[in-house]
Amino acid sequence: MNPLGRLTLFLALMSSISFGGIPPVLPDIRHFVVDAHGWLSEADFVNFFALAQTIPGPNMILMMALVGWKVAGIPGALAAAGATAIPPCVMYFVGYRLWDRFRDAPWQNVARASLAPLTFGLVVAGGTVMAQTVDTGWSGIAVTAAAAILLLVTRLNPMWMLGGAAALGALGLV
Amino acid sequence: MLFWEFFKVSLFGAGGGIVLAHRCAVERRRWLNEAEFGDVLTLCQFMPGPNVVGIAICVGAKTRGAAGALAAFVGFALIPATIGFILALLLLGQARAPIVQQTLHAISAAAAGLMIATGLRLLLRRHRRDLRALAIAMAAFAALALVKLPLLLVLAALAPLSVAATMVWRTKAS
Repeated sequence: MNPLGRLTLFLALMSSISFGGIPPVLPDIRHFVVDAHGWLSEADFVNFFALAQTIPGPNMILMMALVGWKVAGIPGALAAAGATAIPPCVMYFVGYRLWDRFRDAPWQNVARASLAPLTFGLVVAGGTVMAQTVDTGWSGIAVTAAAAILLLVTRLNPMWMLGGAAALGALGLV
Repeated sequence: MLFWEFFKVSLFGAGGGIVLAHRCAVERRRWLNEAEFGDVLTLCQFMPGPNVVGIAICVGAKTRGAAGALAAFVGFALIPATIGFILALLLLGQARAPIVQQTLHAISAAAAGLMIATGLRLLLRRHRRDLRALAIAMAAFAALALVKLPLLLVLAALAPLSVAATMVWRTKAS
C-alpha cells in the first residue's frame, strides 16, 4: 500500500481508539510517522504540534492534516484530517443517542466511574511523552512545568502561557 | 445558529474550548442544562476522538438531530481546520529561520505542560479522594509514559481491569 493509504488507515485506527482525545495517541502516531516510516523528522513533528496548539480551532485535526500534507501534499492533508475526525464523530453521534436512551441504566454508572480516571491518566501520559520529546534541556523542562503549574493554580487563560513561552523562545531563552 | 455559535467557539477557543462551549451552550443559548452538559462531557471524555468536537456534535444532536450534529461539525471542525491549515502552511514557510524554530519549540514545551495539567485537573476535580480511581490513572500513566506500551495494549489491559475493580468496590460498599 502507498504511504498515503497506510497513513490514512493508521490514523483511522488511532482516532477510533483515542479514548481521552487525540493527545494520548500522539506517542503512537509519532512512533509510526517518525521512527517506523521516516515520513517526518522529529523536528517536523514538534513544529506541527506547536503550530496546532497556537492556531485556534480543533488543533489535533489540524496537526494530523499537517502530518498528511508532509506525507502526500494536499490530498494527504484531506485524507489525514478525515481519518482523524470522521470515525470518532460518527461514534459520538451514535454513542450520544444510545447514552441518552439508557440514561439511568446501572451499567452507565459503572462505565463512567471506571473509564473516566483511566482516560485522565492517559491525557497526563500523552503530555508527558510530548514533553519528553520536546524538552531537550533544563530550560524546556522549566517551561513545561511552569505552564502546568500556572494552569493548575491560577484561572489564567492558557493563551497567556503559550504566549509567554513564545516570547521566551523568540528571545532565545528556551 | 448552531453552526454559527460553534464556529465562534472554535475560533476563539484555543486552549479553552470546553469552557467556551459551556458558556455558549448552557449559559447563553440554554440548549442544555448544567447536568446534561456534564453528561455530554463525560461521554465525550471516554469516547475516542477530539473531545471538544464531540461536545459540539452531542449538543447539535440534542437540539436538531442529525442535521444539527452535521451543522455543529462543519462550524466547529471543518471550516476552522481549513483556515488553520492555510495559516499553518504560511507560517511553516518561515520555519527554517532560527527565531521561528526557537519560538515553536518553546510553545511546544508549554503546550505539553498544559496537556499534563488538564489531565491532572480533571482527575483531581472528581477523584481527589478516590484511591481506586487514582490508582487506575497512575497505572494508565505509567504504562503509556514510562513503560511506553502502545495505547491499544494499555486500553485492552486496563479497561476491563478498571471495570472489574469498580464493580467489586461497589458491591463491597453497598
